[in-house]
Amino acid sequence: MIVTFPHMGTMAIVLKALFSNLGCRVLVPPPTTKNAMVLGVRFSPETVCLPFKLMLGNFIEALEQGADTLVTCGGVGPCRLGYYSAIQQQILEQLGYQYKMITLEPSLAAVYRHLKIVAPCTSWHQIYRAFQVAGAKMNLLDDLGRTVNSLRATETLSGSANLLWEKAILEIDRAESCQEITNLRQELQQKLQAIKTVPGKMPLRVAIVGEIYVMLEPFVNQNLERCLGNMGVEVCKTMLLSDYVKGHLLRQQTYIALYRRLSALANPYLCHYVGGHAQKSVAYTLLKKQQGYDGIIQVYPFTCMPEVVAKNILPKVSQDIDMPVLTLAYDEQTGEAGIRTRLEAFIDLLQYRQAKARKTGEISAGSYITQKGC
Amino acid sequence: MSLRVGVPQGLLHFQYGVVLERFLSELGAEVVLSGETSRNILDVGSSLDEMCLPSKVFFGHACSLRDKVDYLFLPRLVSISRGQYTCPKIIGMPDVLRNNGGKLPPIIDVNVDMRQKPRQLYQAVTDVGQLLGRGVAASLYAWFKAWHYREQTKPMVQDGRLRIAVIGHPYIIYDRQVSLGALEKLDKLGIQVITPEMVDAGEIDRAAAKLKKKIFWSNSHTVAGAAMSLMDGGQHVEGIIFITCFACGPDALVGELIRQHACQCNIPYMQLSLDEHTAEAGVVTRLEAFTDMVKRRLGT
Repeated sequence: MIVTFPHMGTMAIVLKALFSNLGCRVLVPPPTTKNAMVLGVRFSPETVCLPFKLMLGNFIEALEQGADTLVTCGGVGPCRLGYYSAIQQQILEQLGYQYKMITLEPSLAAVYRHLKIVAPCTSWHQIYRAFQVAGAKMNLLDDLGRTVNSLRATETLSGSANLLWEKAILEIDRAESCQEITNLRQELQQKLQAIKTVPGKMPLRVAIVGEIYVMLEPFVNQNLERCLGNMGVEVCKTMLLSDYVKGHLLRQQTYIALYRRLSALANPYLCHYVGGHAQKSVAYTLLKKQQGYDGIIQVYPFTCMPEVVAKNILPKVSQDIDMPVLTLAYDEQTGEAGIRTRLEAFIDLLQYRQAKARKTGEISAGSYITQKGC
Repeated sequence: MSLRVGVPQGLLHFQYGVVLERFLSELGAEVVLSGETSRNILDVGSSLDEMCLPSKVFFGHACSLRDKVDYLFLPRLVSISRGQYTCPKIIGMPDVLRNNGGKLPPIIDVNVDMRQKPRQLYQAVTDVGQLLGRGVAASLYAWFKAWHYREQTKPMVQDGRLRIAVIGHPYIIYDRQVSLGALEKLDKLGIQVITPEMVDAGEIDRAAAKLKKKIFWSNSHTVAGAAMSLMDGGQHVEGIIFITCFACGPDALVGELIRQHACQCNIPYMQLSLDEHTAEAGVVTRLEAFTDMVKRRLGT
C-alpha cells in the first residue's frame, strides 16, 4: 500500500510525517505545477472550483508514479468540498486507474475505521506518537510562517526571511521525533532574531481573508504573501492549517470561543453560516479594522459559493467601517501581471491613505499594535 | 387594513410558493407578488457580482417590491430536509439583499433549518405568525391548511411523442426569462418534455441512494435522482437536456454525475449553460440540433 494525498501549501509535510509514522509507505505527489493544473482541468467539469481540479491533478500525477491509496477529505456541505471525492473517484475510475480511495468523513467512527485500514497492526502508542509528531510539525510550520510573513516587510537585507523559510521547510520535513522538532524550533527562533530589521519602520499591515486552499497554496495565489512582503507589506493570513485543524476538527475551546466572537461580529452583515469561511471573511474584516490593520485582501477560487456571498456583502462592510477591501478570484486562467497590477494599485492606495492619516494625526505611533494579537 | 407582505417570485418560490402565499393569506396578510421575471428585473439583479442567474433574478424580484409592501417575506431556507442544505447562495440571500438593496421595507427572514430537527419548521411558522400578530394555534392551523395546497407530482402520460427529459432546478426551467422558454420551444418541436417534478419522489430517493455519496443539497438530490431514475428505470427517455446556470456550484458536480451516467446508458446528453448574456437564437439552434439528432438516431 502506497499512500498519497493532495497538496495544500505545506500540508504534505504534515501528512507525510503522519502516515509514515503510522507505518505506511508514502508517496508525496509532485509539487502542484502547471502540469497538475493541465491534467486536472482536462478531466474536470468545466465550472467546478479550482481546488477540485488541482487535487485531481495531484492524484493523477501520484497514481502515475505508483501510488495506490488516495487519502482525501469528505464533508457534509454546503460547500462543494464535501462532494469532491465522490466525483473524483468516478473520473479516476473512468480513466482506468486501479486504486483505493479513503475519504475522511467528519465522524470519529469513520476516522477510526479508516485508521484501521491504513495502519492495521499499529499500536495505540504508535498512533498517538504519529499524530503528535505531525501536530508538532504543523504548529512549527505555521508559527514560522506567521513570523516570516511579518518579517519580510521590515528586514534590512531583502530575501533573508525567504531564505530562512526555504531552508527551514526542508529541516522540518527531515525531523523525526518531537524532541528534534523542539530543538529545531529553538534553533529557528535564534535564526529569526538574528535577521536584522529596519528600526522604527512601520509597514502597512494587510490581512488575507477568504478560502483556505487558495490562501495556503502558493501555486494558486501566486505567492501572494511573498509578493506583498516584497512590496514592504506585513501580511497576516487569517486561516492556517493549524487553525483549521484545531478549530474545525479538534474543536478546541479557545477556537470555539474565537469563532463565537467572530460570528457575533459578523452578525449585523451575515447572520447565518453559509458554508466555507464566508462568515469569517466578513468577521475578520471587522476584527482587523479594530486591530488597526490597513487593508483586507479576500481570496477565493472562482465560483466558490460561500465566498461569493461574502464578496457581495464586503463592499457594504468596507464602506461602513472605512476599510479598503480587495477581492481576488483565482482560476486556471489567472494571469500573473493582472494580479500584480491590482496588488500594486491596492498597496498604492493604502500608502496614500496611511500618509494622509499621519498628516492629520489620526494614527500616532503608539496605536500600533504588534503582530502578536492576530 | 391588513398588512401588505411582498413575496418575490424566484428561487424556491417555484416549489413552495403556493403554500407560502396561502399561509400568509390565511394569517390575514395581503400577499403582493412580484410577477413573472421581466427584462427589467433581470437588469436590476445584475448588479450582484459573480452570483448565479437565479440569485440575481431573485434579487431583482425583491427590489421590484420595494415601494409596494410593508414587509418583504424572505424566509432563510437553510435546510428543507434532514441532513441536507439548500445552497449557500439561498441561505445567504436575505443578507445579500439587505447589504445591496438600498432602502428596503423590513424583511421577515425567519430561519427554516430542518437539517437536524425537522420540527424546527413549526418554530418558524409560529415566529411568522407572531410577527403578523397571530397566536401559536392560529399560525399552525394556517400552516396545515396551506400545506394541502402544495404541488403534487404531475403524473406522466405517454402521448406517443418523442420523450426528452429536461433536467434542472425548477427556478431555472420554469422561469421563462431564465430558460428562454426552452420547455415551450421543445413542445413546439414535437417533443414530450419530462421534468424532475413529474418523477415520483420515492423513485427519486431510490435512484439517488445508489450514488456513491448522498448529495447534501436538497434540490440537487432531486435533480440527480430524477435523472438517474429516468435513465435507469421504467420511464424511457430518448435524451437528456441538462439546463444549468453559469456559476451554479452544485450543478457543476451533479452535471458531471448525470453526464457520466448518460454515457454509460448510451443516452444522448446535452448541457445548456445559461446566464444573462444568453441569446435566444443560440438556445433555439442547440435545441433543434439536439432533437434532430435524437430523431435521426431513432430512425436508424
